[in-house]
Amino acid sequence: MRFHWFAEATYPHLPPDFAERYHSAWVDVPQALFEPEKGGEVLNGFLNMYEYASEVGLDGLLVNEHHQTAGAMTPSPNLMAAALARTTKDAAIAVIGNSIALYNPPIRVAEEYAHLDCVSGGRLIAGFVVGTPMDSSFSYGIPPAEIRDRFAEAHQLIRRAWEEPGPFVFNGKWTKLRYVNPWPQPIQKPHPPVWVPGGGSIETWSFVTENDYCYGHLSFSGLRSARPVVDGYWEYVDSVGGNMNPNRMAFTQIICVSETDAQAEAEYKEAVEFFYRNTNKASRGFTNAPGYTSKASMRWQQEIAEKRGQDRNAAMQGEMGWKDYVDKGFVIAGSPATVRDRLREVVTELRVGQLIACLHMGNLSEEQARKNTYLFAKEVMPGLKDIWSDWDDLWTPQGRREAAAREQAVSAAGH
Amino acid sequence: MTMTDIRVFDAGFRVQVATLGQGRPLLYLHGYDGFPGEAPYIARLAKSHQVIVPEHPGFGSSTGIDHIDGILDIALYYRTLIEQMGFDRVDVMGHSLGGMFAAELAAICPSVVDRLVLVAPFGLWLDEAPIPDLFYLGPMQLQRATWHNPEGAAAQQALSQLGGGDKQSAGEAIITRAGNLSAAGKFLWPIPDRGLARRLPLIKAPTLVVTGESDRLISAPYGEAFASKIPGARLVTIAEAGHVPMAEQLDAFFEHVGAFLDRS
Repeated sequence: MRFHWFAEATYPHLPPDFAERYHSAWVDVPQALFEPEKGGEVLNGFLNMYEYASEVGLDGLLVNEHHQTAGAMTPSPNLMAAALARTTKDAAIAVIGNSIALYNPPIRVAEEYAHLDCVSGGRLIAGFVVGTPMDSSFSYGIPPAEIRDRFAEAHQLIRRAWEEPGPFVFNGKWTKLRYVNPWPQPIQKPHPPVWVPGGGSIETWSFVTENDYCYGHLSFSGLRSARPVVDGYWEYVDSVGGNMNPNRMAFTQIICVSETDAQAEAEYKEAVEFFYRNTNKASRGFTNAPGYTSKASMRWQQEIAEKRGQDRNAAMQGEMGWKDYVDKGFVIAGSPATVRDRLREVVTELRVGQLIACLHMGNLSEEQARKNTYLFAKEVMPGLKDIWSDWDDLWTPQGRREAAAREQAVSAAGH
Repeated sequence: MTMTDIRVFDAGFRVQVATLGQGRPLLYLHGYDGFPGEAPYIARLAKSHQVIVPEHPGFGSSTGIDHIDGILDIALYYRTLIEQMGFDRVDVMGHSLGGMFAAELAAICPSVVDRLVLVAPFGLWLDEAPIPDLFYLGPMQLQRATWHNPEGAAAQQALSQLGGGDKQSAGEAIITRAGNLSAAGKFLWPIPDRGLARRLPLIKAPTLVVTGESDRLISAPYGEAFASKIPGARLVTIAEAGHVPMAEQLDAFFEHVGAFLDRS
C-alpha cells in the first residue's frame, strides 16, 4: 500500500458569505477576491506542507492542474513539482496530471515531465488528465466534442517523444511537427509511470487498461458513492483480461486525524464544511458541458445514479454538515484507530493500492495540516502498509522505490 | 422520414432526411436545437417547394460528426449531399446554426446555391453585442433567451420536446440534447466565429436575412452585419418573434420569405 499527500491549493480568504453571494468557485469567480500577497503566502504554505509530508515518510506528493478557481490555484502543477523536486529527496513527485488536450504542441508536456524526472532523480509520476469541463472547455475554450480526440493524439505524441529515437515526423490532426526530438529525456525507461485520473467515463477505463496505466478516481465523495464507479471499473478490467493489480488504482479520500473522534470534529469541522460549501462547488452549467461525457458514459452514469445515492449531490453542493459528511463516509475522521479501520475497509473494498490522502482541506491551518499529516504518517500508515504487499508496484517511480528500500534497510538495521 | 446513407470523406454517414412537397427544390438546414421534423413552417414550405430537411451529423440519431473536422468540412458535406440527392442547384434556407452552415455553403460552393435565406444565423461575433453562452445556460434559461413569448404555443411545444415522459425517456432526452449541443459545439464553442465574416462577400446567391426582433441570441446588430457583408442582401426583421421567427410568427415570416423564394 502506498500513501500520497494531496491537497487542493485552496484560497482560504473568501468572504464569509461567499457561498450565498457567488454561484461558483470556478470559471467566473471574481478575481477581485484574490489578494496576491496573501495568495503567495498560501502557495508557499502548501509547498511547506508537501515538504513536511515527504519528511515524515509519505510515498508521494501529488499535485494537479486546475484553472480559474479559488478551489485549486495550480494552473501549472509542474511549477509546484519543480519546487518539490529540488527541496525533497525521497518522495515520488506525482503530477496528476497535465491536461494534454490543451497544449499545442503537446511535446511541451513531454519536455517538462522529462525535466522533472531528471531533476528529481527519477521520482516523477507522469499524469495525463482530460481535465474537468470547467478547466478544459469553459476556461481553456476547447469544444467538448474535441477533447478526447486531442487527448488521444497528444498522448501518442508524448509517448513516442520519450520512446522513439528522434527526430521523427509527426503528422497528426491537431499537431504537425517536422522535427520531434525533445531534450531532456526522462531517467525512467521506457517512460515514467503514468497515472490517469477519471470521474467515471467508460472511455477512460479502456484507455488506462490498454496502456496498463494507474487509474485514479478523484471523487471527494467516499466509499459509498464511489463504489458503483470503482466496481464498474474493475469489472471492466476483468472482462477484457486487463491487469487486476490493485496498485493500478488510486483513490482520493479526505482524512482528518486527531487524538480522539470528538477532537477531530473540533479541529476539522470548519475546514471540511468550508471545502464542500465554498471552493469545491461549481455552478451546474459549468460542470455539465454538453459532449464532455459521451452518450455511452451518460447512459451508464444514469444507470448507476441511484446506487451512488442522492446524498452525493447534496454533499457536493455543500448542503451537509460535519456529522453527515463523516457518517456517510465522504470524510474519514477520528482517532488513529478509527481512521485506520475505516481506511482498511475503503482500500480493500475498492481494491485500491495507491491511497491519495487529502490531509489538508478548505481553510485548514498549516499547523493543523501538519498535525494531521504527522498522526497519519506515524499512527495510521504503519497499520495499513501490509495491504496488497504481495503485488508488484510498477506505478510508483523507480526513484521512490529505491528510497523506500533504503528506508526499510535503515529501519531494519535500527531494530 | 428516412435514414439516408451519404458517402463523403471516405466514410459512410447515416443521416435522417425528410423530403416533403413538390416544386423547386429547397434545402432546409436546422438550428442548434435540433431536427424540426414536420414543423408547421416546414409543412408551409412544402406547399410550394420540394423541401429536403436533413438532420445534421451528430444530431439525434444521425452519425458522421466524428468525420467533420471543421466548417470547411460541413460545407463540403452539404455540397456532397445536394449532389448525391441528384440536384445541381437548390434554394437553401438555414436557421441558427444551420444559417451559419448555409452561409458557408453559399460562400464556399456558390454554384450549388440558388437563393439563400438566413434566419437568425450564427457565424459572426460582435464584441459590442455578445451572444449568450448556449453551453452554459440550462434548458430553461435557454428557452427564455430563445422566445419572444416563452409562454406562447410555439415555446411550449418546444419545451414539451425537452421533457420526455417517463424517467427513462427523460434520461434519453437529456442525452439527446447533450449530443445535439456537443455537435453544435464543434462550430460554436467557445465563440461562434470560424472566420465567416471574411467569406460572406464571396456569396453570389440573392440573399434574404431574417431576424426576430426579440431574439436574445442573435440580436439586431447581427442581422445588420450579415446583410451588410453579403452583396445585395436584404434584411427583414419580424416583430414579436425571437430566435425562431417562423415558429412564432408563421404568417409574417412567409409574407416576406414566400415572396423572396417565389422570385415575385
